[in-house]
Parts: sequence; structure tokens; C-alpha cells
Amino acid sequence: MLDVSSSNTPLVQMVDIYKQFGGIHAVEGVSTDLYPGEVMGVLGHNGAGKSCLMRMLSGAMTPTRGDIFVNGQKAALKSPQDARGFGIETIYQTLALANHLDAPANLFMGRELKTRFGNLDEKRMLAEATDALRQLNPNFKNLRDPVARLSGGQRQVIAIARAIYFQAKILIMDEPTAALGPSETAMVADLTKRLKNEGIGIFLISHDMEDVFELCDRVMVMNKGRNVGTFRIGDVNKDDILSLIIKGTLPDDWEPRGANKESSK
Amino acid sequence: MTAPAEARRLRFLPSGTSIHKLSAVLTLCLLITVFSFTSSAFFSVNNGLTVLLQTSVIGLLAIGMTLVIITGGIDLSVGSVLALSGVVAGLFIKAGLPVVPAMGVGVLAGAACGFVNGFVITKMRITPFVATLGMMLIARGIALQLTGAAPISRLGEAFGELGNGTLFRIVDMQANGFPKVIFPGIPYPVILLAVIAILGAYLLQKRQFGRHIFSAGSNEEAARLSGVNVDRTKIWTYALSGGLAGLSGMVLMSRLVTVQPNEGVMYELDAIAASVIGGASLMGGVGSISGSMIGAFIIGVLRNGLNMAGTSAFVQMIIIGVVVIGAVYIDQIRNKT
Ligand SMILES: Nc1ncnc2c1ncn2[C@@H]1O[C@H](COP(=O)(O)OP(=O)(O)OP(=O)(O)O)[C@@H](O)[C@H]1O
Ligand SMILES: [Mg+2]
Repeated sequence: MLDVSSSNTPLVQMVDIYKQFGGIHAVEGVSTDLYPGEVMGVLGHNGAGKSCLMRMLSGAMTPTRGDIFVNGQKAALKSPQDARGFGIETIYQTLALANHLDAPANLFMGRELKTRFGNLDEKRMLAEATDALRQLNPNFKNLRDPVARLSGGQRQVIAIARAIYFQAKILIMDEPTAALGPSETAMVADLTKRLKNEGIGIFLISHDMEDVFELCDRVMVMNKGRNVGTFRIGDVNKDDILSLIIKGTLPDDWEPRGANKESSK
Repeated sequence: MTAPAEARRLRFLPSGTSIHKLSAVLTLCLLITVFSFTSSAFFSVNNGLTVLLQTSVIGLLAIGMTLVIITGGIDLSVGSVLALSGVVAGLFIKAGLPVVPAMGVGVLAGAACGFVNGFVITKMRITPFVATLGMMLIARGIALQLTGAAPISRLGEAFGELGNGTLFRIVDMQANGFPKVIFPGIPYPVILLAVIAILGAYLLQKRQFGRHIFSAGSNEEAARLSGVNVDRTKIWTYALSGGLAGLSGMVLMSRLVTVQPNEGVMYELDAIAASVIGGASLMGGVGSISGSMIGAFIIGVLRNGLNMAGTSAFVQMIIIGVVVIGAVYIDQIRNKT
């Protein structure tokens, strides 16, 4: 359906996605796309369906209805492994860490490094994890402690390190800086820019307007399970976005602030 | 939210698991000391070997149980599966199969029961407690049905070898023509337990499968999201537990040189107690083979020492019950902090 070789091929296309839990409509007919080297902000009130939408792209949840295309090809994302096969990595809002295990074990969970004899290569995992974590937080200590004993910020750093270590092509960040201090947050912002320059496509869920305006190329706003608008970041200001988040519509007198309105529903 | 200074201090203290293991070892030493005073025959090579032999069956069960408990589950069926495996082996020997392959079939029968447990738990989404409670009745029922509740005896001398044979037995022929046992030898079940315990610890600590057991038990959802095949991990864990129940069935029935379809009742509780005393958490994610072996020996020494001190079987029950509750209480305190 789409030309794979074309440089205009979106990295990800989600078409008319629905997700229902019994009577609850978590996601209703949402379509969106993501291009290489682009950061797409996903905004919305609590319970708007942002995490659900992203979990369907992560393979953690299957859509009730709707199609997902990766590099123009239809992708059946039935499990997180499937999604990883497409280069999709996720920083989950819940972090998805095993509390009793240490940082290296969590970083490599499900993808453990092994020696020639098939034993766990603890030494190499520790060394690689130390490198990966120190990139985000130079003071990261307690690498061998169970992560239950680490601070919220340290735990978040592990979740972030895990997503970027395996060289994602598509990165989903579900409120990645919620527990981070200012310097770590800045570090994650730098990292986001660096990954973007490497051509990685990023979905960024955030409630922090400063972050959104600093990092995102486009934003989509969800309200009660629906996508109520996708805009170039230059076309909207904070008030527009807040209005979309809260009311689901733009202010009455709205017109594109920047050059052209890209798309909206 | 640990302050850095506190975190640094904490690292010099032994972790929760090693504190628990240490206290278990101390308990074991204490028991041995106390019993050495209450009975003069307790602290001897012969009695030591007896305790080892008596503990081997519970020890084997506890290894499988520990793996299951670390995944956050429980296996109530091991006592019945032990009996069923023995019955299967006995029937095959009666049908003309040699002892070794027949015992192999018995162990496989146990593994098959465990596999069914794993399947019911992961694919039918029945809680481990209920699924293995069902298997406990099913396996016991089959064992009794197949034998008509009667023991299978006259299985041949070879059948008794595994349970009664020893290694390094030293017998000296005395001048008067009577043999004198210098060293009674290490019973085969003890050697088997040592080998399986080492293999189990290796599997749990050094292999990916073991790491997945911990991940699945620590945070099942996280493990799944991280690409761990949680269902497969659990199914194999229950199959291992069933297989080890089968193996301990071979040891026990071989020691009796008869297959008793009503053997092994309530053994699952001893195995669970051994795991929990050894520091395994019923919430999942925590446990070790070494700890569970210490736990098994605490129970073994307790039984043996109380026996030698002439304590009645009823009082033994009470004491072991108290120990189990105490251990679970410690487990809970540990989980709160
Ligand atoms: N596993 C589930 N079972 C039933 N309902 C669910 C499940 N997951 C999410 N929901 C419901 O779907 C809706 C959307 O939830 P979702 O987690 O996507 O919100 P969100 O936009 O990420 O909110 P937040 O900003 O608070 O993270 C909510 O009403 C939630 O209760
Ligand atoms: Mg969310």
C-alpha cells in the first residue's frame, strides 16, 4: 500500500485504532503517524488513553480493531518480542522493573548476555550496564542492589537505559522524566535530541509543557480516547493545547499560529 | 528514596537474603548442639548419615518447590506425584521392564504431572494453589486406583539399590571372622541430593532459565514486557518440580523396596516449610537452593533429634508446626521492610 523505499514513508502509522475493555472505550478510532528523526508529543488528561495507545505499539496490548504499519508494512504486534523485532523499544510508565533483581539484571531482562557455554555473562552485563547508566547519571551507584532499594529517579534511569541500549529505531517514552530531578531531566532532554538526530522516531508522552515545546516536532492531543488534533508544534501555543486537553476543542478564535496547519480532526 | 550516605552504609551490611540464610544456619547449629546434649547417640557419624538419608527425600522435593515458589507459585501436588511416580515405576517393573528404565519412566510420569500443572496454571489461568490442589487429588487417586490401594512388593533386589546402597563403605574383616563396619558409607540418596542440589543452584544462579524464574516471580508483568516468555518458564518450572517429585518417589520406594501408593502424604508441606525456612518468599522473586537445603536439614534434624529424645510423634507435629509459622512470620517481616 505504501512505497517502502520512499523517504516519505512514515516509520509508524497507526490507523483507526480501537481498544475496549468490556464497556470502557480506552482508545476510539485513533490514527497517527511518526517519521524518522521526529519527536511526536502525545498529550492528554489522565485516563485519556495515551498509555493504551502506546502499549498497542509496544506489543503489550492488542488493539480491538485497527492496523499498525511499520516502515509501510503491516505489522502484527502480538507480543513485546514482536515489537522489538521491528526496533520498537518502550519506556513504560510503570517502568516494568523486577524489584528483587539488580540494575544489570533488569537492563538485560529477557535479553540476557551469555558466555560461550550458555551461562549468564554477569561480568559483561555489569560492565555494559555501568556504561549505559553512567551516560544518563554519572553518579549512578548501587548497581548490585535490588532495584527495590533504589530511588524513583534511579529506577527511571534504568528503564530509560534499557530502552536505548538496544538501539531502537522507534522509541516510546511514557512520561520518562516523571520521577527525575532537574539535572537528570535535562540529561534525558539532551538524549532525546541526540536520538532524534540519529534518525530515531520518538513518541513522547508528557504532561510537562516546557518539555513538550522544547523537544517535540509535532503534538497529538487525546481526549477521552480520541485524537482531537495533531499539530506542528509551531502552530499551537500552550493555551491551545490546554484547551484541547481539557475541552477536546481548540479555542473558538484559533487559527494556525505558524505557517500551515498540518492536520486535525 | 534512599539518601546516598545511607545507601553506602547499607552496602556493607549483608543483604536481606544472606541475613536470613545466616540465621537459618545458626538455627541448625543450635539444634544440633541442643540435641547433642539431650541424646548421647545424636552426635555421631552414623546418626549424621541417618539424618542425611532421612532428609534426602524432602530435600529433593524442596529443590523443585523452591523453583516454583520463586516464580510466585506453589506446588501442593508433590507428595501425591511422588506416590504416582512410584506406582508407575512399580507397574512397569512388574510388566517386565528393567529397574533403571522403569524408574526413568516413573520420573517422566512425575514430570508429566508437573507439566499439566504448568499448563493449567498458565494457559487456563487457574491459580497455582487450586491447580496443584487438584493435581494432588488426581495423582493420589490414580495411584490408588491403579494399585487398588495395595502395595506393590517383590520388585527385586535391584529396585532397592538406589535407596539402600552406599558409596565408600569400609568394612574390616576382624580376626574372629566377624566383619566390622568402619565407615557405613555415604547413602546413594545423599549423593543424589547433593548432585541435584548443585545442578539446581547452577540452573537458578547461572543460567538464563533461572534468571527468568526470578524475573517472572519478581514482577510477572515486567518480565512479560521485557520479552521473558513467562508461560514457558512457569510450565518448565512445574515440570521440573514434578520430575523431582518423581525422583524422590524412586528414592523413597526403593528404600522401602516396595511401592506404597499411600506414601508421601503431606510431604508437600515439609517441602514448602523447608523452602520458606530457607528464605524463599511465598510472594515470589526470592529464594535459593542452598537456603532450602538448610531448611530441609533443620526439619530433618528436628525430627531426628526429637525422635531420639523420645518425644512423641504428636508433640513433633506441634513443634514443626510452630517452626513453620515462625518461619513464615519472619518471611512477612522481611517483606515489610
Ligand atoms: N488493563 C486495563 N483494563 C481495563 N481498563 C483499562 C486498562 N488499562 C487502561 N484502562 C482504562 O483505559 C483508560 C485509558 O487509560 P490510559 O492508561 O491509557 O490513560 P493515560 O492517558 O495513559 O493516563 P495517565 O496520564 O494517567 O497515564 C482509563 O480509563 C483506564 O481506566
Ligand atoms: Mg499513562
